Amino acid sequence: MSSPVSRPAIVGALLKKELKAYSRDKLYLFLTVLTLVAVSVLFQFLPKSVNETLALAVTPSIQSMVSGAQDTLKGLGATDEQLSALDNVDLTEQQEGLDLVEFASEEEMAKVIEGKLEAWRTDSGELVLRDKKAGDAKPENAKRLSLGIGIAFPANFIADVATKKNDIAVTIYSDAGVPAEIQGAMRSFVREAAYQLAGQALPVGMPAEDTIVLGQDRAGDQASMRDKMRPMLIFMILLMETFSMSALVSTEVLQRTVTAVLVTPAKMGDFLISKTIFGTMLALTQGLIVMLVVQALTPQNWSLLLVTALMGAIMFTGVALLVGAAGKDFMGQLFYSMLFVIPMMIPSFSVLFPGAAATWVQVIPTYPIIDILVNATIYGATWSDSWGSLAYAAVWLVVLYGAGLLALRRKVESL
Amino acid sequence: MTQPSIEVQNIAYNYGDLRAVKGISFDVQPGEILGFLGPNGAGKSTTIKMLTGQLTPKSGAARILGRDIAKDDPEIQAQIGVCFEEKNLYLNMSAKENLDFYASLFGIKNPDSMEVLRRVGLADRANDRVHSFSKGMRQRMMISRAFINKPKVLFLDEPTDGLDPVTSASIRKTIKEEAERGAAVLLTTHDMFEADELSDRVAFINDGVIAALDTVENLKLKYGARSLKVRLRDGSKVREEHLDLTDPGFSARLEVLSSSPDLMTIHTEEATLEAIFIELTGRELKG
Repeated sequence: MSSPVSRPAIVGALLKKELKAYSRDKLYLFLTVLTLVAVSVLFQFLPKSVNETLALAVTPSIQSMVSGAQDTLKGLGATDEQLSALDNVDLTEQQEGLDLVEFASEEEMAKVIEGKLEAWRTDSGELVLRDKKAGDAKPENAKRLSLGIGIAFPANFIADVATKKNDIAVTIYSDAGVPAEIQGAMRSFVREAAYQLAGQALPVGMPAEDTIVLGQDRAGDQASMRDKMRPMLIFMILLMETFSMSALVSTEVLQRTVTAVLVTPAKMGDFLISKTIFGTMLALTQGLIVMLVVQALTPQNWSLLLVTALMGAIMFTGVALLVGAAGKDFMGQLFYSMLFVIPMMIPSFSVLFPGAAATWVQVIPTYPIIDILVNATIYGATWSDSWGSLAYAAVWLVVLYGAGLLALRRKVESL
Repeated sequence: MTQPSIEVQNIAYNYGDLRAVKGISFDVQPGEILGFLGPNGAGKSTTIKMLTGQLTPKSGAARILGRDIAKDDPEIQAQIGVCFEEKNLYLNMSAKENLDFYASLFGIKNPDSMEVLRRVGLADRANDRVHSFSKGMRQRMMISRAFINKPKVLFLDEPTDGLDPVTSASIRKTIKEEAERGAAVLLTTHDMFEADELSDRVAFINDGVIAALDTVENLKLKYGARSLKVRLRDGSKVREEHLDLTDPGFSARLEVLSSSPDLMTIHTEEATLEAIFIELTGRELKG
């Protein structure tokens, strides 16, 4: 008898066939290329930075309120020294994070916030209102302002506050889309302004530092949408390969080509190894391409990211084996793919909605993968910061990959 | 006597409570074609699955080329060729790519895929993807794939099922060539004409057991009538006369009838395989 062919040669032949079969499946090839291009294009359009300045509309202008207050207070017998203190009222001062836009009238301000008028600011600082429906031309050398909230002070607000008058009404205009937290912050802003003008301290003791930031203080360096999407895109690409890999497995099972393979010197182990290698390489290659496109790799995190992506790729290959073995036809395979993929996507949304993930989200197998990707790409996490998540991911990897192998083996044996 | 290529001793298999094969024994010599005849569900495919390593027998023993199939010996797989009933080909790959791939699983460096395709009349479609092939062409592909490693043992499961007569004849010719080359062939079929034409011996399998196993001629002699049916014109009618070959007056009577101007036809009255199967099992082959 001839000497038997070696196992690596058989696995090599199976991998070559897998590559050929994948490259011939126009649907999945198209979807793969499309996804990679879409991810690359999408990433380029994502904002690189975060605008941390809140534009706030006010009316009347601070200057007119101050001058009106000076006249009123002068009539009440205030000294020049007392009146000069009003010049120090810093409401008009451009504070970090706050851009005051002064309107001449409450009606104009309300229309801008409601979206009926556009507010533009020229390079020279002049505010120009544009009624687009009326056919007003777009102002030259000007930038459009986005105003979602505004405060209408009474004309004699400062004097009323300074004289400790009761029942002072301040109206806050807010666009429906402005979060309740911002509206609350505006109320606080008005109260603080009133206390400041009245010459009284706030009835709350404040520490030397106004805010204690727990963890890394990213004030002025917040994660931009691009930063947030970086780990999410890597994760999604890895996860999406579940579809194409499960289709390849499912086709092999449904068309029973695997039976023909297993009556040659190829063994079940060769078949499972080749599927694992191919699925993992397929996901990892695309994950690596996306990592390069989104510039996720740094000298500090590249090894951690590659290992994490490898673990994710093997985990998703396990899922693909499971789905491929379960589906009885194309629709069945698609159904099972969705059944697994949708829940596994959930942890990735924690990137867009930061905060502590709920316990049930942390139980999802993909949580540790996305957790490492986020921490490594956004917060500079290193190996030492990630051991816990890596161990957790490894446990899920073993469970899912083991389940996939077992399911496919049983399915093939039952053919 | 040479060592049988296939030796089966009392193997059995059951799917849960269903006993598909109930302890059958047979052997196939090199260059011999053994026809495995039986209706659907008789246990033919299960037997092939056990012998090709797809299923493990629940009991009994079998040897392929002297090697125990229970030992998962890769050298057995290296020497067998299997043609499945279902057309399990890679549809997105060309005919040649399919054969080259299977050849690579056997470690064949430079497979003669084109020659194999030429034998089954598919050389001109070598680079076409299999999904564009007709049912007959796919079946010829299945046959060619089973031949790619020049196997010493061939398992052919319903190789001409549902094919047109021309394609069937072409495939039968190729199977005969393989047997002439020295391959032992286990051919499962429920087509009695195919079994009759190809098989050196025939095994009737029914309900998981072998009901009879012998050469086609012996079976026909054993179960058929040794007589001739002579048809003669009788005015506007046709008259039939049966001549018993064992009758001492047979030759004289045959001479008389064969020289008669009214002679129309003379037929032997040997049993068909279908008739023998029905007599032995009470079932029809197409079931």
